[in-house]
Amino acid sequence: MPPAPLLELRRLVKSYGGVRALRGVDFNLHAGEVHALLGENGAGKSTLIKTVTGAHAPSSGEIVIAGESVSGLTPTTARALGIACIYQQPALFPDLTVVENIALRLEAGATLRRLDWRARKVRAMELLARIGAAIAPDAEVRSLSMPEQQLVEIACALGAGARIVIMDEPTASLTQKEQHLLFAVVRELRGSGVGVIYISHRLEEIFALADRVTVLRDGESVGTHAVGDINEAGLIKLMVGREVAQIYPASESSAGEVVLSVREVGCRASGVHAVTFDVRAGEVFGLSGLVGAGRTELARVLFGLTPADTGEILLNGERVAISSPQNAVAHGIAYVPEDRRRHGVVLDLPIAHNMTMAIHPRIFPGAWLRFGAERSLALEFIRDLAVKCAGPDAPGGSLSGGNQQKVSLARWLATKPKLLILDEPTQGVDVGAKSEIHRIVRRLAKDGLAVILISSDLPEVIGMSDRIGVMGGGSLRAILPGKSDPHVVMAAALGTAEKGAA
Amino acid sequence: MSTDKPAWKARLLSHEMLLLYVLIAEWLFFYFTGTTTNRRGVIVGFGTIDRQFDILRHSCEIGLLALALTPVILTAGIDLSVGSLLGLCAILFGKFWHDAGLSIPVAAVLAIGCGAIGGAINAALITTLRLPPLIVTLGTYSLFRGLAEAITHGAVTYTDFPESFLFLGQERWLGLPTQAWLFLLVAVAVWLLVHRTTFGRSFRTIGFSPGGARYAGLPVNRRLALVYVLAGIISALAAIIYTARLGQAKADAGTGYELFAITAVVLGGTSIFGGSGSVHGTLLGVAAIAVLKNGLACLPVVMRMNAAEEMSGLLTGALLLLALTGSVLPKILSTLRPRRQPA
Ligand SMILES: Nc1ncnc2c1ncn2[C@@H]1O[C@H](COP(=O)(O)OP(=O)(O)OP(=O)(O)O)[C@@H](O)[C@H]1O
Ligand SMILES: [Mg+2]
Repeated sequence: MPPAPLLELRRLVKSYGGVRALRGVDFNLHAGEVHALLGENGAGKSTLIKTVTGAHAPSSGEIVIAGESVSGLTPTTARALGIACIYQQPALFPDLTVVENIALRLEAGATLRRLDWRARKVRAMELLARIGAAIAPDAEVRSLSMPEQQLVEIACALGAGARIVIMDEPTASLTQKEQHLLFAVVRELRGSGVGVIYISHRLEEIFALADRVTVLRDGESVGTHAVGDINEAGLIKLMVGREVAQIYPASESSAGEVVLSVREVGCRASGVHAVTFDVRAGEVFGLSGLVGAGRTELARVLFGLTPADTGEILLNGERVAISSPQNAVAHGIAYVPEDRRRHGVVLDLPIAHNMTMAIHPRIFPGAWLRFGAERSLALEFIRDLAVKCAGPDAPGGSLSGGNQQKVSLARWLATKPKLLILDEPTQGVDVGAKSEIHRIVRRLAKDGLAVILISSDLPEVIGMSDRIGVMGGGSLRAILPGKSDPHVVMAAALGTAEKGAA
Repeated sequence: MSTDKPAWKARLLSHEMLLLYVLIAEWLFFYFTGTTTNRRGVIVGFGTIDRQFDILRHSCEIGLLALALTPVILTAGIDLSVGSLLGLCAILFGKFWHDAGLSIPVAAVLAIGCGAIGGAINAALITTLRLPPLIVTLGTYSLFRGLAEAITHGAVTYTDFPESFLFLGQERWLGLPTQAWLFLLVAVAVWLLVHRTTFGRSFRTIGFSPGGARYAGLPVNRRLALVYVLAGIISALAAIIYTARLGQAKADAGTGYELFAITAVVLGGTSIFGGSGSVHGTLLGVAAIAVLKNGLACLPVVMRMNAAEEMSGLLTGALLLLALTGSVLPKILSTLRPRRQPA
């Protein structure tokens, strides 16, 4: 037996009102290991983390850190005990700069002392360089994309010199390149004797990185295994309780009429220029590229959030000016955004309200609310997408990350669009739900919908797309056939990125 | 939190219900302690029907402004100009009738139109220039009052309105003070708008998350324009019944009313940060303030000190702070920290 584990949880229970998020979980973490935590959406992973970081107090059970039982843990004492966490959702101050955020996180506690801005900036730049993030240290966090904020979070955790580092879906919005850098950092941490708890829905990451894996199901631990002793199918079965096909559904549709035709479209404000491509009915058009390649920016142009200022957009052969999101919705365009907490779901409103938000004119004729119709529509989507929630009246903010994603998706499926733009639709979604979403996307395409799929998950874009557009520096650099070799796609993305940097 | 369909259990302890208990307690207190003299110098209690009608009559204008402000505050906005607009519309109404020689109904319709224009100016500045509502309406707060004073040179007062018009402000119709019917009608309309239509739904959505509303394809600017124009129209209605109640239109009509109205809305449980709140809460807030003000005026001890105004100001303030600490403080605290909500 190794010495006392760095962290041990004994019969940990956490309830939120009537919801039992954790029901007596045992867990331990040793120095110098990467311990993966797996489970479906809403299984209780983030909740477990929050009790360890002192963000939420457990209802009962014991937290033992380096052999000593601690109680009344707060974020401050947790940090003092050497626990650092990268939350699923970046928790940075949006109005402060990157340097200021990093400084705040690392210098917490000291009230009166001289500020050495030069040293702060140097340290911030060192930390960012260590994870290979090309982020201006003086940029306001507000102006950073989701993955960039995630990278800043990781830099903070690194700088804190923690003994226990927790990562809650750190790669959910990262592309392969940043992922590899992150993996190198994690391995380095492990080498220096740090214990890492690593949460991810991407099984391949767990096999690449973790030493042990614990699976949670409905707030209970259903087993801890050494990674060498278990395979993917076994893990999935533990998580979901049944087998889930890990293959991408085959494309059954034959591409029909051109639905969307984009000609030399550009938007100076968002750095998109001269993008030209077509999407046909029944086709899934994937968009791949590195973080900052301009994929989300292009989607925002197509959805009228930052309207195009050059080029033309044709829908079903007719030239249209998409000047606002309402306008886009009226034209049958739907956009499931990347940042679900800021844009995809209104956290304070009930799930049902969130799901009907984009179909007011249709479900509420004459502007009168019909609670019955709304409720049954919500219940239908909750069932179809297996949203884990207390009911249609539960606020969006009470859902786990993956379930919020499903609500956001449901809102746009409800619009019955002609063109569906999905921006990282399976980010943070568990394997079962992910394959469910893939199946739905395929079914929609078969019914004649045109789909644009933006995804940083390379196997997903390749597996799901009929054609793959590779973006870089705000323009479309290549269009590759579906089922292309991953290396070819990566090469296109990286090659162009290098050209752009030079 | 109150959205447009709270569960029954939550209802009993909702902000609105708590306020109702306070209101009843307040009323009972004054019922047993308050006295006042009637026209013939006879001592009568606080609980007379006459007094209740008096309270109602005097709360209609501020009540209307509070109704106007509820949708505005639900969108996380504010309109400080409603009191000034009331003054401006009262003057314009008097001018249309007296100087332009128009009939009362035509003058009223025109005054309401002017109210709508006033609201539209706020809306245009807020939606197109993307200025904060607080700043915009602080500007129009001075602008509208200044215009009213310029029109009257600070001296002209329109009086001698016909009896038929004063009926609206001073008589009873079907048992209630006449203007109370108008107030009731507007209250029902605003309640339906906020609680039973998609408009109210979008006000809340915008209040909770303007970005989320935009990404959902809701017409954010059109909805914002609607709430400010509506506030202008209702302010003009308030101007007309104000004129009918006092029998005169002056440039200082409604001075300071916006603050009472905002107090009533916030007391009624509408979050100043937008999103949550209700129209019935606002009505209870208006009633709580009106009963307090009126009740104090007939407390013997207060009468002796001749300090009804001061006391009511003090107690309204205390009530408001109590309501704020109870329902808004946790939210303020959570906005001071970066969000660490469940993922
Ligand atoms: N603040 C809260 N109020 C009520 N219920 C909550 C709250 N936070 C979490 N829950 C519930 O607790 C359960 C576990 O949530 P948790 O966020 O831990 O899931 P998770 O395993 O991290 O899921 P995901 O993979 O989707 O992130 C869910 O059913 C969720 O709805
Ligand atoms: Mg989670």
